[in-house]
Amino acid sequence: MSGHEFHPLVKQLLDGDITLADLPPELRGEGEAALRLLAAVDRTDISMPAVTWRVMTTLERRRRRFLPWLLAPALAIAAALVILLRPTPPAPTAALVTVRFVLVAPDAKQVSLAGTFNQWDAQVTPLVRTGATGVWTATLTLPAGQHQYAFVVDGVRWVPDPGAPAVDDGFGRRNSVLTL
Amino acid sequence: MRSGPQAADGEIVRAVLAGDRERYARLVERYRDRYARYAARMLGSADAAEDALQDAFVRAFDQLAQCKDPDNFIGWFFLILRNRCFAERRRNRTSASLDAANDVAAEDRTDGGAESAERRRALQLALMELTPDQREVFVLKHVEGLSYNEIAERLSTSVPSLKMRMHRAYDKLREQLRDHT
Repeated sequence: MSGHEFHPLVKQLLDGDITLADLPPELRGEGEAALRLLAAVDRTDISMPAVTWRVMTTLERRRRRFLPWLLAPALAIAAALVILLRPTPPAPTAALVTVRFVLVAPDAKQVSLAGTFNQWDAQVTPLVRTGATGVWTATLTLPAGQHQYAFVVDGVRWVPDPGAPAVDDGFGRRNSVLTL
Repeated sequence: MRSGPQAADGEIVRAVLAGDRERYARLVERYRDRYARYAARMLGSADAAEDALQDAFVRAFDQLAQCKDPDNFIGWFFLILRNRCFAERRRNRTSASLDAANDVAAEDRTDGGAESAERRRALQLALMELTPDQREVFVLKHVEGLSYNEIAERLSTSVPSLKMRMHRAYDKLREQLRDHT
């Protein structure tokens, strides 16, 4: 046995099979040093509340990205053919419009926006709580055209905008529609 | 059908498979903190642990139909998280050791006892020098407080094999920490 290995009885001590008193006197010092090593183990609890939000947002974003291809593969192929067969027009300069999104959610700890304008990524467009009234707002500048979106409350609850028209997403939920 | 907050894992798994995706959040909430410490000690970094937990839960969702015993969702999920932690360690060995030192150093500032904090820091660094197999059995027994029998059941292995790994880990830690014991 090399000088850097614990005596087998000390290993039994570390395993909890015997106590310090069970060691012969000549091994007590080694046993105490071994127990000091175990006493340095960090058993602090760790809490990661953001994991729930991150997991559910990932799942939802992926579902929404996948949805158009699931619902309309023929349309997608047709659109691709049109693009391939037509000469490329000059890219139009899209007009930009500034929009304020508002949601009243007094009990929410976190609200964000997910939509076609941010690839349904609920992590990139948070709303800010204004005062203590539970009003959450975000101001965005978006290209003119039609956008679909939803509010994401506390990372897990996707709710349509009560102040905007909505369409069925094909899976029993509603996406709000904003036309600029 | 929705049931109370204490719904059994199997019931939630079956509901998610039937289309109620949002109920998966209940399983994530139920188990994320329980395994956060395991992942953090295995990877040596709280940030890496959070990423690993997220990936493992997303992967478990994707493969949920393959969970043969929905009532033992957590045993099945643990193996997914474990694989993720082992793969991460293979990819990113050096930076994890540095993160481990930094994470423990951050705790030092709030803890007071400089000597015990230094010992904790040294132990955390030494743990990162063990093989993943050795570190895992040490973490499960001495951080999570599981018995050898419980670890053997969880990892589908034998107690003598676990003890062999652990005893090698003890010797390696002693070698690494000879100035601290």
